[in-house]
Amino acid sequence: MVALEKDQMLNLAENAVSIALKKGAAEAEAYVYEGQATNVGIERGQITKTNKIIDRGLGVRATVNKAVGFAYTNIIEGQNAIEDTILRALSAARASKPDQDWNGLPEKKPDVAAEKIYDRKILELHSEGLVDIASSMLDAAVSVNKRVFPIEGGAGTACLSSAIANSNGVTGFDRGTIMECSLAVVAKEGNTVTPVCFEFNAERAYNGDPAWVGKEAARLAVAALKTKQIKTETTKLILTPFALQELLYFTVINAVKADNVQRNQSPFQGKIGEKVASENITIHDEGLLPGGLRTWTFDGEGVPHQKTTLIEKGVLRNFLYDNYAAKKEGKESTGNASRAGYLSTPSIEATNFRIMPGNKTPDQLMSEVDNGLIIYYLQGAHSSNPVSGEFSVVATPAWKISKGKIAHATRGVMLAGNIFEVLKNVSAVANNERQMGQLIAPWILVENVKVIGK
Amino acid sequence: MEEILANINGVAVQKFGAEYAETRTQKLYKTMLTLKEGRVEAAKQGIESGVALRVLVNGAWGFASVGSLDAETLEIAVSDACKMAKTASSRLKVPIKLAETKIVEDRVKVKPKKNPSTILMEDKINTALSLNKATLSYDKRVKSCTIDYLDLTGTTYFANSEGTRIEQDKLYVWSRITAAASSKGVFTFSREEIGSTAGYEVFDVENPEMIGEKVAKRAIEQLDAKPPKGGKSRVVLGPNIVGVFVHEAFGHLAEADLALSGGVLANNLGKKIGSDVVTFYDDGTIDGAFGSFKYDDEGVPTQKTLLIKDGVVTGLMHDRETAQKFNAEPTGNARAENFRVEPIIRMRNTFMAPRDYSLEELTEDIRSGYYFKSFRGGQANLDGTFQVGIQEGYKIVNGEIGDPVRNASISGTTLETLLKVDAVGKDFELWPGRCGKGQTAFICDGGPHIRVKEVIVGGSA
Repeated sequence: MVALEKDQMLNLAENAVSIALKKGAAEAEAYVYEGQATNVGIERGQITKTNKIIDRGLGVRATVNKAVGFAYTNIIEGQNAIEDTILRALSAARASKPDQDWNGLPEKKPDVAAEKIYDRKILELHSEGLVDIASSMLDAAVSVNKRVFPIEGGAGTACLSSAIANSNGVTGFDRGTIMECSLAVVAKEGNTVTPVCFEFNAERAYNGDPAWVGKEAARLAVAALKTKQIKTETTKLILTPFALQELLYFTVINAVKADNVQRNQSPFQGKIGEKVASENITIHDEGLLPGGLRTWTFDGEGVPHQKTTLIEKGVLRNFLYDNYAAKKEGKESTGNASRAGYLSTPSIEATNFRIMPGNKTPDQLMSEVDNGLIIYYLQGAHSSNPVSGEFSVVATPAWKISKGKIAHATRGVMLAGNIFEVLKNVSAVANNERQMGQLIAPWILVENVKVIGK
Repeated sequence: MEEILANINGVAVQKFGAEYAETRTQKLYKTMLTLKEGRVEAAKQGIESGVALRVLVNGAWGFASVGSLDAETLEIAVSDACKMAKTASSRLKVPIKLAETKIVEDRVKVKPKKNPSTILMEDKINTALSLNKATLSYDKRVKSCTIDYLDLTGTTYFANSEGTRIEQDKLYVWSRITAAASSKGVFTFSREEIGSTAGYEVFDVENPEMIGEKVAKRAIEQLDAKPPKGGKSRVVLGPNIVGVFVHEAFGHLAEADLALSGGVLANNLGKKIGSDVVTFYDDGTIDGAFGSFKYDDEGVPTQKTLLIKDGVVTGLMHDRETAQKFNAEPTGNARAENFRVEPIIRMRNTFMAPRDYSLEELTEDIRSGYYFKSFRGGQANLDGTFQVGIQEGYKIVNGEIGDPVRNASISGTTLETLLKVDAVGKDFELWPGRCGKGQTAFICDGGPHIRVKEVIVGGSA
């Protein structure tokens, strides 16, 4: 399938809105999405597969008497398919119940620009270029040590486009690229197999470093081979972005979403202006961060992306809003409505959730730890209590730090605590920030976390 | 339609020299609802139609997915897939081969008592509203309630270059109820899922009032619960926890692709790794269960697969690729979430077989321990480290089930823990769930109550 042009996508969206109004919608919004992805896959030490996926579709939101209906289709050829989708959105709205808090779709706002989100070079890679990238990553991993076994990974590119129109005159078109490569490896010695160690590169422009990914994954796995048990104690932790991503995703990121606050599901409710974290912690949601993985010009409702300060030196400043939650409080959306392509209605999500870096180097941070652990991968964070922030997870693996140096790996250690307490106990922040999914974070040093050894 | 697909497979084989080609087509309809405190956020309906093309060329896989049934588009897509597979094969050390399987021609129809596609949206909303009401009205400390509902109906077509042709109806009904309660600064959370491949009649069995009350009661009970003391403990696990343990701690390791990737089971086939009372199955044949189907996404019939018998590892779950590597039969575990992705090895309904203890007999000898009844998430690693979060648990004191505990979790390593299962109950429950392995699969897991000599309990903050 040939990629849709900007005008085709915009016309489709605008056309769908005007048909919906003609068919009786009080308000209508159409979202057109196209994703084209090419991937090369690694399985068990070799490149074994490739794929090319083209997914596009139309999602229509229509309201009738303050009741919202939504319909989508991935077949967008022909006027019939479009009309049928609009009619299904309308019939869903008519079957639904009025929502007294529904105060309309977003209004038009001035456009903003997003930098470094599109690079043509990424799209010129094709499967040949991706095979080269995956090979150099694999070769680099195996060259570190012959006990290293790459189990899974790959290299891929994607081009994502979206167009939106609504009955308040909002229109928008955006297109961006992503390329990534990743490798998961274990190290084996005799009957010992390490937990899975993982590294990746994800960029909006063509400047990844696949050999680094391979080497780093391999280095961690080899370092995880020889383990010693540790005792149960309350200790210091260095949390890397891998661990932070797991711990924050199900808890803190949910706590700053305005709908959760409004629904009594956030411990941050009523705490704007109060201290909720250590003064070392400043967090912004940066929807326009140049080159950020979640950087776009507008959100899933066509509202411009922006920078929102969430926590400033430990003090809670703002929440994240979509149009619905904002209008409920008489506020403006912060441009945080997120959509799963054409398949879903918008819901509040962080864009680039950035924990601001400090000025210590990782080595300096490490040197402050006389006795503690550095945590990479965590298991079970999704079983955290999403409302209270209590967690009880396993580190697979973690490394013991003694006198400022890594002493040995340890396995099966449980960490238990409350993520909101963890935020208050951050004593230092390093300067080595990197992005993982929506999170951008450096290493952080936390005091007084309970670790349960064997 | 059938002709177009057969032709596409022909193009791959004749024009590009593919060893194997398959097309999977879907025409599926979805209805979805999200209710928050009884407010219908949006009533949603969707159509997802498309074709997945997979080819094996020079021992490497090529895959293309297109949201179109147009013959010309499909021919371009299959050509791309073949060319890309050839590119990938350039660095191949061990070419992929497939185990043989029977050629099948079949038409599988579903016969629900109540087909969700004929139930009005209004009725679905009313069912969700009664779930919401039962949850929120249980106690005023229940502050919020989210109901998610999904039904999926339609047809899939499978055709491969060996001559297999399968047309299969799909039907899934799923709902999730989550409640949050708070009081005096304590926040609690509770969740329950319903899932069936039988039909909308699942709500006649899973009565909305009862389920709402169950979810709410659990959230309220936790308000006064204390975190457990961290450390080693003797425990009794309920069917819901046993299910997630079988699925996470053992099941994933018994997926042949993960076993080959260095998982701890690869070297243990035929060996005794569990106590005598441990017998596990993965079964795709249970009528109406959320993980059941007739043919997998490689056209292989599903089956009841014995994984461990009396503590001895008897088999793994295979697709055609891993079956060839292990010189085993494909077990019908290849599943693809939709036309956008390739089939991979997934579980179906995975469970532990019951034995002969009553719950009382399991708890009576425990002076101090825990009874864990319902889980909140679980995860395992290739090395067998597992973690299961607990949303409902109790202390056991002098053989009696006592006060509730909250935010507990258990962990251990699979091989050590299977040897520590020292008694297995005579009851049996199967629970619906969704499993993530890059793609989402609808599954069930379950078993009886069991007693374990020792796991690590984490929880005290």
